[in-house]
Amino acid sequence: MTGSSSWTDERRAREHELLLRLSAITPADSSEYNAIRDELVTMHLPLVRHLARKYSDRGEPFEDLVQVGTVGLITALDRFDNERGTELASFAGPYITGEIRRHFRDKAWSVRIPRSLQELQGPLAAATEKLTRDLNRSPTVAELATALSVPEDVVLDAMEARHSYAASSLDEALEAGTLSLPSIDKALERIDERETLEPLLQALPERERLILTRRFFDEWSQRQIADELGISQMHVSRILARTLTHLRNELKDTRD
Amino acid sequence: MSGPDEVRLSFEADTRNIALTRTLAAAMAARADLPIDQLEDARLAVDEAVTQVIASAPAGAEVVCIMSAAPGELSITVSAPGTQEPSQSTFSWMVLSALVSSLDAHVADGRVTFMLLIERADVDA
Repeated sequence: MTGSSSWTDERRAREHELLLRLSAITPADSSEYNAIRDELVTMHLPLVRHLARKYSDRGEPFEDLVQVGTVGLITALDRFDNERGTELASFAGPYITGEIRRHFRDKAWSVRIPRSLQELQGPLAAATEKLTRDLNRSPTVAELATALSVPEDVVLDAMEARHSYAASSLDEALEAGTLSLPSIDKALERIDERETLEPLLQALPERERLILTRRFFDEWSQRQIADELGISQMHVSRILARTLTHLRNELKDTRD
Repeated sequence: MSGPDEVRLSFEADTRNIALTRTLAAAMAARADLPIDQLEDARLAVDEAVTQVIASAPAGAEVVCIMSAAPGELSITVSAPGTQEPSQSTFSWMVLSALVSSLDAHVADGRVTFMLLIERADVDA
């Protein structure tokens, strides 16, 4: 071995060459195209495995994740524009992760939730939205049951199903931003764990931090927060539950 | 229904049991005719309170959770063996007090007890 940097350079040169050849070939379904594509896929399998590993503790076989991740890699290859000057690896990352997430999303519904409750999710969301608008507040379970012509128990089951689905599914991509939230600083003055909590809050994705602040520091209702962000109240409630659990675990870890 | 609509759940102080109390809170919030955003708050609140009493309870201790629904009003009492008075200057306390209409916690007879009351926010709105 002559040192890792020359190996990396060699690999990069090979990748570049393959990509150039690939973009020169038409039509895209020739055997040469497939051969080049296969080699590029093989080169990037470690990336797929690396990304798949991040999701390996969620109850799905690792090899399945590698397989769906590879589908994402191939899609990325087909869409990759060599002229743009981006690295294939950074271009392909979101496709690979996206495919793995989709796998969980589909799986979470099909395995864990009875079909009747799955089918109620759409109407439940629509009825919640309509009633919230009409009543100018969140509806009650009884009101939802009437609107959907199902027993109250079924509405509760569907709401519960949505929670368990959310717990086993993956978070959506989160965007970074630059909102300043002065109410956090003020409220933290009253809290003993301030020093531990502050960096944890800072580390939260912006939307999580905003929702948490609105609910617990500004004491807005879930409904008001949903209106401000243009998302469903159910979504607000899922994010609150998830963020609280996360913070609680982190706080516990620092105490232990 | 005559008399208070009350349900009592007792279980070992093990975090696996917290999910049961969330489900019960949702069902009782529905009976209290709370809007679903407050129903979700009730789930979060009982989760927080039960987590707290379990954290300070000795292994194998019994947690008792009593929920009582009246029109527009859900009260939840969570208790477990313990001697330490819950601090009011924790993040957890802050979260709990934002979620409920009134909150009280005390130690008596070797048990820590949290009392939560969630009142419908929009009465006559």
